[in-house]
Amino acid sequence: MDPTYDGFVRNVEILPILGRHGTLSQPSYLLARRKHSMARIAIQLRYSSEARIFVFTFASVLIGCMPQAVLAQESTKPASFINDVVPLLTKAGCNSGVCHAKAGNGQNGFKLSLLGFEPKEDFEYITKDSRGRRLSIAAPETSLLLMKAISKLPHGGGVRFQESSSEYAVLLNWIRNGAVYDAGSAPKLVSLELKPNRATVKPWSEQQLKVIATYSDNSQRDVTQTALFETNDSAMAEVTPGGLVKVLDLPGKVSVMVRFQGRVSVFNASVPLGAAIDALPPSKNFVDEAVFANLKELGIPPSSLCDDATFLRRVSLDLAGRLPTDEERLRFNASQDGQKRDLVIDDLLRSSEYADFFANKWTAMLKNRRDDASDIISNFAFHAWVRDSLLANKPYDQMVRELLAATGTVIANPPVVWYKRVKEPKQQVEDVAQLFLGVRMQCAQCHHHPFERWSQDDYYSFSAFFSQVGRKPTATRGEDMIFHKRGSASATNIKSGAVLKPAALGDTMPTIAADEDPRLKLADWMSSPNNPFFAKAVVNRYWKHFFRRGLIEPEDDIRDTNPPSNPELLAALEKHLIDSNFDLKSLIRTITGSHAYQLNASPNQYNITDQQNYSRYYPRRLQAEVFLDAIDDLTASRTEFPNLPSGTRAIALPDNSYNNASPFLKVFGRPENESVCECERIQSSSLAQSLHLINANDIKAKLSNVNGRAAKLAKSHSSNVEAVRELYAVAFAREPRPEELQAGIEFLAEPRLDPAGQPFDAMKAKQESFQDLIWALINTKEFLFNH
Amino acid sequence: MLNLHRTGCRKFRTIWFIRLICQIGLISTVLLHSGALAQSVCLPLPRLLTTMPMGGKPGTQVELTITGENIDGAGELIFTHPSLSATPIRDANGKAEPNKYMVSIATDAPIGIHEARLMTRLGISSSRVFSVGTLKEATQIGPTTALPKAMPLQVNSICNAVMTDKAIDHFLFEAQKGHRYIVHCSSRGIDSKLEAVLILADSEGRDLNVERRGGTLDFVATKDGKHILKIHDLTFKGGPAYFYRLTLQEIPEGSPVPTFPSTKSVSSFSWPPTGLAEMSATSEKEPNNLHAQAQKIALPCDITGSFFPAADVDTFEFMGTQGDVWWVEVASERLGRPTDPSAIVQLVQQATADGDETFVEIAEFSDIASPMKLSTNGYAYDGPPYNGGSLDIIGKLEIKADGLHRIQLSDLFGGTRIDARNVYRLIIRKAAPDFALASWGFHMELRNGDRNALSKPLALRNGITVALEVVVVRRDGFDGEIALAMDGLPYGVTAQGLKIPAGKTRGIMLITADEQAPKSLANVSFYGKSFVNEVEVKRPVQMAAMAWPIVDSWGEIPSPRLVTGLPISVTGAEFAPVSISAKEKKVWEVNVGQKLTIPLQHTRRSEFSGTVLQLKTSGAGFEQAPRFDVSLASECSEVVLDLAALKTPPGDYLIAFYGTAVAKYQSALEATTKETTAPIDTVDIVMSEPIAICVKPSEPK
Repeated sequence: MDPTYDGFVRNVEILPILGRHGTLSQPSYLLARRKHSMARIAIQLRYSSEARIFVFTFASVLIGCMPQAVLAQESTKPASFINDVVPLLTKAGCNSGVCHAKAGNGQNGFKLSLLGFEPKEDFEYITKDSRGRRLSIAAPETSLLLMKAISKLPHGGGVRFQESSSEYAVLLNWIRNGAVYDAGSAPKLVSLELKPNRATVKPWSEQQLKVIATYSDNSQRDVTQTALFETNDSAMAEVTPGGLVKVLDLPGKVSVMVRFQGRVSVFNASVPLGAAIDALPPSKNFVDEAVFANLKELGIPPSSLCDDATFLRRVSLDLAGRLPTDEERLRFNASQDGQKRDLVIDDLLRSSEYADFFANKWTAMLKNRRDDASDIISNFAFHAWVRDSLLANKPYDQMVRELLAATGTVIANPPVVWYKRVKEPKQQVEDVAQLFLGVRMQCAQCHHHPFERWSQDDYYSFSAFFSQVGRKPTATRGEDMIFHKRGSASATNIKSGAVLKPAALGDTMPTIAADEDPRLKLADWMSSPNNPFFAKAVVNRYWKHFFRRGLIEPEDDIRDTNPPSNPELLAALEKHLIDSNFDLKSLIRTITGSHAYQLNASPNQYNITDQQNYSRYYPRRLQAEVFLDAIDDLTASRTEFPNLPSGTRAIALPDNSYNNASPFLKVFGRPENESVCECERIQSSSLAQSLHLINANDIKAKLSNVNGRAAKLAKSHSSNVEAVRELYAVAFAREPRPEELQAGIEFLAEPRLDPAGQPFDAMKAKQESFQDLIWALINTKEFLFNH
Repeated sequence: MLNLHRTGCRKFRTIWFIRLICQIGLISTVLLHSGALAQSVCLPLPRLLTTMPMGGKPGTQVELTITGENIDGAGELIFTHPSLSATPIRDANGKAEPNKYMVSIATDAPIGIHEARLMTRLGISSSRVFSVGTLKEATQIGPTTALPKAMPLQVNSICNAVMTDKAIDHFLFEAQKGHRYIVHCSSRGIDSKLEAVLILADSEGRDLNVERRGGTLDFVATKDGKHILKIHDLTFKGGPAYFYRLTLQEIPEGSPVPTFPSTKSVSSFSWPPTGLAEMSATSEKEPNNLHAQAQKIALPCDITGSFFPAADVDTFEFMGTQGDVWWVEVASERLGRPTDPSAIVQLVQQATADGDETFVEIAEFSDIASPMKLSTNGYAYDGPPYNGGSLDIIGKLEIKADGLHRIQLSDLFGGTRIDARNVYRLIIRKAAPDFALASWGFHMELRNGDRNALSKPLALRNGITVALEVVVVRRDGFDGEIALAMDGLPYGVTAQGLKIPAGKTRGIMLITADEQAPKSLANVSFYGKSFVNEVEVKRPVQMAAMAWPIVDSWGEIPSPRLVTGLPISVTGAEFAPVSISAKEKKVWEVNVGQKLTIPLQHTRRSEFSGTVLQLKTSGAGFEQAPRFDVSLASECSEVVLDLAALKTPPGDYLIAFYGTAVAKYQSALEATTKETTAPIDTVDIVMSEPIAICVKPSEPK
């Protein structure tokens, strides 16, 4: 189970026990339960490739020396620097980012290229740096390189391998044979094959992988022991340094990436649950076909379809970021139309709250951030442009095109504001790649991407698209007019010095004339139906919005080595978006109209462990803005935001500056719009959140607002039954169950006494009872979560 | 013990010293802060800020309510066109109601925008736009800030309204299915601070369509019935300065969207060239994006086109003759469009046997440079907040070889925008040397961190000399000296221009009101004169002013625009705090390389904060003169100008000295009403009267 979700559930579970003014006697209860410690590390580090390298290295270091029997080497044949020495240094972790490939000057004066991507430089570092003192050709065994590795001389990195190991033998062999740099003569690695590359693996079973390297001389070698392995989901499977995959108990798809000498390959495992599936909900569209086919293959029976009330609340929160209104609820309940769920989706897609809610999502990732008071106009204009584009259902590719190739002034063309926030070509490349293509290029700025095919040339060729962004000053400080600066677009690889023309990722690009804005060519390439990233990235992002988990996770890390959990579904969604001319509303209509989206959140006896196959709706804690608006709706007390019209919803806030005025938004994780990653939004639970719901002044003020719902109910002549029904209708979009109704009525009827034991004034007592009841509803999981 | 005592003593001294330093620092900070807080920027000037309504229909009378600052003693309301006139509204006793006027709009009043100014005790005010339109006028009634309070609006009418702070205004109208309507909100273009957002919504207030860029909503109603219009400021600001005129009009299908008159940007002063026909002779013909589609033209040419659709490139071809020199001018930004035209010219080298062509680029044209270094909006003043330059083009094209030439015109802002209104006019002509002039109130740094951008009406205090900054855009190689002059000045007012030297782009005009000048007002003609091809030409100086007095341009971005007319008044009611002039009104003669000593006379009429006035020198040939101090306490001083150091060549010069001083300002009105308050420290520019100097060649030894 997702530890963050689990943690929050635990957290909120104890709230009713504590009471509004209770104390936390058992803070340990607030700690999230976590199943796998490695998963925890992976989650904490999931967004950093460098961190992944660290995990890799850490795992490598743990093994110490490797089983010698497996590491057979032909000791008589001279070892190759390229094909033998560099891979073993990589496997031993010597050239990891935390050791000798540390940025700057390596470790203790000994420097290596990161993960051996620059063997020529490594050869120079090993044989020539420090006057060549690291090697002794005359007495190879006394070479510093060897003595340190086996820790015969003090070594901060400890023992990397034993003197008796094959690694030692290979290094010694290489030195004995003159420590030759053989880039010219050594056969080149041309492919990496993983055997098997696909398998169905039952829970709690193992699969040994074998890695075969094929070289340019047609020779093949088993490099299993020198290759590096990593699983994409350590909660589902673990992998040993020797390539033994140990599948755990979670059903679904898991992959193991193997990397050797800059090449990668993937093993895809299908882990079935194997339960019998007697019946599936009928398929409404291709989404259902793909989801249910996958469940059938894995033997995971889905939960049943949710009821109308649950659906209405769910889809309103997911689509418009708010609870259903009274009118919507009454109309929906009264409707006998068989298509009423589809109709309500259409209604919500037409609403301005849809545009507000998704503008809130996009502007956070597009870094619409208030750093200075003078940013206000640009931030409002930019937010409005996104919002209006969504409201008008501007095709997604057109929106991205307008943003990427924006020119002009803030008022005349608000997407130029993105160039105010994201000023440097480096940032522009990385943000565009991650946000719109789901590709993380950050690593490739300095070195070959460790998990991907992207090289530094790819990085700088991509950045060349942004090389002709011209700026002219405006009357507003820090704000420029953006124009296309005529000229030949290019960027310089800072390492090689090569001047590179614009090139798309993994694709060619015709020569761009000096008069043409290269960003328009980039936009053309991105929106091409054949683009392997663009549509995929956004459908995956939107899928995650509605299902909590992307088909590819993280949603903005699309690569060959991180395959989707349901590739057929992802491909079908991608095709749908392209065929619909990048119609986002159509995409949402398709997703939310599916029965897969309309499954119950409650698990059945089989699918409780399912976290990636969508056999049920995965509940999510309401995000900060939605949560605040929902509390406002339930308490009938709107939050006032500085200098905005009364009644402005939190989902409609144009930038991050309002976080300062609303501790609620901050505590519940509203992002500061600093990152292109949606992970900046904090959805995990915290003690502060619990305390805020218990004690914060803003919550108290809402409950006791003289014009709020509690006060109105207390003054109204309606019965307590009607009052409880109203509260349940607003909070959960449903009628109270009989036991809930009974509990509510009894609670409202309880006499309230002051500390001296005297009864309260009747009106005050009634009002406080309603306040307490509303507060209790706010703190239920049913309210806190979309389910 | 002794050691301990000493140590303790030392500690005590240290602590005492630190406390002392802190206290001094605190006191200084408090003093500086309080001083800064108490100090006003610039002496009060009358400013007309709002009128309600902001327009009217020809042949009607409009009851107008005005607001402004420093408009006590308001009298006549004056318009820039004689077909508009105003009289004060009087109560039953015949007494004029404060700030209320009846405006009469003659039936032949030109449709468009005009300007109103107010004559006050201090003199003539800054101007405010007043529109004349053909539609029925209405005025906002009551608060319209919620859907249930939506104000009904008739089709084919204009509503004059004011935005409430942190609010959204609602209007309701009946639409007929299939009919075409346009909705426009005039705001920035009529001097309002409102950055209008215009939303069309259904009868339940659900947004259907939004316009945020000052454009027009143009839609065909899909059903009969009530529709809602919502208006708000982009950042939800409001208040009296956030007024607007909301137009709802039904127009026939296929007819163009009407244009809505607005004020002009400062950059547009250089357009059009003198004598240019109102309409161009030729239009661009699409498709002409590709070389093969180039439109054939002959030079000279005058072509109208548009940067439409997105990333449009308009290509023209003409035959060039070696040695010909042409001037290329493009107007688009100066026509009020948010564009940045760019042009390149290529010599096409004809195809070889395989049919390929090659070309050589011979020119690239972009912006018209600002005549002055523009304000960078930094901490300190470093240039005027007026941009006389433009994103348009004026450039020289020299034909290097006979043959086919191609000119490609594009909009550097037009990569993704699809807007047929982004028109341009391309002119390629033989050299027609000329110049265009613009002017605005002189700004300078008044104190640390000062970022004022004020409208400065020429309401002169007696004894004052004020400066106008004048800039020139030179056309087609004209680089002659330009003399600045004014005609029709009020009695007792003189104006002398520190001429714009040959090849330079900036000059200063000094206007002095005599200490004894009576209260008066006159519309003044301001122009520059020069010789073009030995023929004297005279060009008007177009005035620019801030739409609003901005005290701190960090907090609010100034809105400069061109204004109509140049009224100058003398108050007769207040005096300049200090006047500085040469003791003798004469031409001061000096030989080149010698020192010139000029005795100065100070006429002080106010108390000042501080006793020293530091002065700099303005005027060609003398601007490098070192700063010098004069005593404010003294009635005279002298300045020594070292012509050897300045290397000023022989010739006739006009200079002035200027600096800033903090006067303890007290309104003369207070003296008359006996409601005196403490004087307000007010920092302003002190400009001396102009001083004429004749630098003679050195005498032969």
